[in-house]
Amino acid sequence: MTTSSSTFTGSMERARRGVGVGGSGRPPGSRRRGIAPGRARTLTFLVLPSIILVLLLNAYPVIYAGIQSLRNGDLIASGDFIGLKNYTSVLTDPSFWASARFTLIFTLVGVFGSWAVGLGVAMLLRGKVPLGGFFKVLLLLPWVVPTVVSATAWNWLVATPQSPLPMLAKSLGFGNVLFLADPLLAQIVVCVFKVWISFPFMMMMMSAALASVDTNVYEAARVDGATGWQMFRHMTLPLTARSTYISWILMTIFCVNDFPTVFLLTHGGPVNATQTLVVKAYQTVFLEFRTGPGVAIAFLMTIVLVVISVVLFKGVQKAAIE
Amino acid sequence: MSSITSGSGFTRRGFLSIAGGVAAAAVLVACSADGGSGGSGGGGGNTLKFWNMPWGGTEFNPLDKKITEAWKPTSGDFSATYQEIQWANFTQTFSSAVASNTGPAVSSGGGTQAFLFESQGKIAYADALFESWKSNGLYDDFLPGLIDAMKVEGGYAAIPYNLDMRVMWMNKALMEQAGADVPTDWDTYLAAAEKLKAIGAYAFGVGAGAGSFTGGHILTSFMINNGGGLFNADQQPEVVTDANIEAMEFVLEMVSKGYVDPGTVSYTSDNVQTQWREHLFGMGWDGAGLAANVGGDVAAELEVVSPLAGPHGDKGSLYFPNSIMMYTNTPDQSASEDFLTYYYQNMAPLWKEHTGIGLPPLKSIAETDEFRSDPNAVKIIEEWQPIAQTWGGTSLFLGVTKVDGTPAMDAFTQSIYSGQAGAKDALETLQKALEATA
Repeated sequence: MTTSSSTFTGSMERARRGVGVGGSGRPPGSRRRGIAPGRARTLTFLVLPSIILVLLLNAYPVIYAGIQSLRNGDLIASGDFIGLKNYTSVLTDPSFWASARFTLIFTLVGVFGSWAVGLGVAMLLRGKVPLGGFFKVLLLLPWVVPTVVSATAWNWLVATPQSPLPMLAKSLGFGNVLFLADPLLAQIVVCVFKVWISFPFMMMMMSAALASVDTNVYEAARVDGATGWQMFRHMTLPLTARSTYISWILMTIFCVNDFPTVFLLTHGGPVNATQTLVVKAYQTVFLEFRTGPGVAIAFLMTIVLVVISVVLFKGVQKAAIE
Repeated sequence: MSSITSGSGFTRRGFLSIAGGVAAAAVLVACSADGGSGGSGGGGGNTLKFWNMPWGGTEFNPLDKKITEAWKPTSGDFSATYQEIQWANFTQTFSSAVASNTGPAVSSGGGTQAFLFESQGKIAYADALFESWKSNGLYDDFLPGLIDAMKVEGGYAAIPYNLDMRVMWMNKALMEQAGADVPTDWDTYLAAAEKLKAIGAYAFGVGAGAGSFTGGHILTSFMINNGGGLFNADQQPEVVTDANIEAMEFVLEMVSKGYVDPGTVSYTSDNVQTQWREHLFGMGWDGAGLAANVGGDVAAELEVVSPLAGPHGDKGSLYFPNSIMMYTNTPDQSASEDFLTYYYQNMAPLWKEHTGIGLPPLKSIAETDEFRSDPNAVKIIEEWQPIAQTWGGTSLFLGVTKVDGTPAMDAFTQSIYSGQAGAKDALETLQKALEATA
């Protein structure tokens, strides 16, 4: 048992280093050759025009928006400079924190829910499944179909008492369930809708990650006596960690910035129960015509997103080192 | 340092020079765009830009374009170009265009759009145009009260174009089946609702879900119906009044007695039409186009009810006088006015050919045989239009943008239809929200 366990650990270590059974990996101590100083200067000059263009295209709008967040303007006039007043008014507004709370829930469910489903489906499709290619295409549909179409379809599924899901709930003895009229149920529906839309992306990411893992590693682990759970816990997860962290970063950004999913399905209702920060920012700017507070919300979102992305990126680097 | 020659004879130094030149040109172009008097605002040259919304069905904009492009100015060498603007994100479309002076010379748009741009000095007042219309009969052709609704402190901000009314509808087949009398006031409305409930139909059919603002419109209609409203005489939000509390208590009574569909807070316009088609709505509130939108056999069963009298004898409802506006950024103001004179004298086919546009602003169109072939539309013009009010009472102004489809109004509306809040509490919350956005 001890021998089997230590052999399994050895296989795992080799796998983590990217060395399959019989593989060699990069020779220890090998280094990339540096770039000659003259060539580096030339390369810098070559990319300089692109850098300037990128700065113009990206930095200018961001700086302009930053200035707008410090003014009391509207969609046409830039207004007067009022310092950080927009930020303080936003941060002291209870509705902002209610939106932030739901955005957090929406993001957590969206990221980990879609990852769990996507990973599960990717693992199922990894083996020889009859009509596997057909199923993969079919499973991609929620991601491929425009959100407007998906939202309309989900509205048809749940909106009225005669819709399929409320009818099903009624036939199961749950009475008249109004999925979008009840605040809690509406939150659940929006989160499930997000998972449904997003899991194909996770499935693709995790399929690619799983495909890069040498199957001999699993063979070796199986010979060493590893159980299915042990292989998943100690091999699949660590070996796909880098892709997992990257997909988490991307999905976090997708979820926090996701406007159509919420707006098309509920508009943030009922009674603001499903209002995310991006929906609130939009409504503040384009329905209340208050650009300052709206842009301030967007900037606060950006700061939080950057922090989350940096933390997750550390995970990517850590996974790469291991 | 010698330059390294590539296989194509294109040197690295040469490439760097070109790339640097392109970047410099881009910088210069970016810096030279002053966003001020940009070239094509209002059309530029002899071209007058007219932007119109898809007010009706698929046949509306092609016919409208044909009318627009047939304009021959009485003086000058101008021509009109036509652009259909989609409702999706129309506020952004107009705001960015107007702010950059690349917008139209004349346009329609949202019901409160003219007042938003007027406050920014972007609107050309229609006073001179109305004055000129007094001599050709157009001025007197407008339905009562419409032109006055466009007046602001500086002048007339817009010209009434089409009317979007909020009226009461009933399914007469269901009413007969339920043995309910057609209501004439709030008490008889409750009595009819009880009878409809007995056959499984709702008496207060309306939608207040994603993108459906009718629910809020109807709550405001009830306030107006009771002598109340959202703004005081100084055009400031004042919603916590006895009249409004009484009106909201009436709606809450309808909710608590099960006369309002509990799904109302999540219903889109499509969901509402489905409920009418499914014979689940016996009475309800909607725009003038409800029967056409519901379609099928049910459309023939739908009939507009005469305005209800409130508990104190008041009558009233909310309506939206959608308008056409002229912008200061025009190639020629007299050309803008000449175009609109032509347009209003020749726009009747938009109604006579049933393109789906809202109700007409002109008596001459409302009196045509084609228009009078629809008894519901005639009833709305004759009975509802004279008692209808705007968000701000008899006039519109910038402040109404605080309640027109805003999150504060949405939250208030949903809190009432879900029965989650008392009348006074909900109104107080709305008042605070409106003051916070001041």
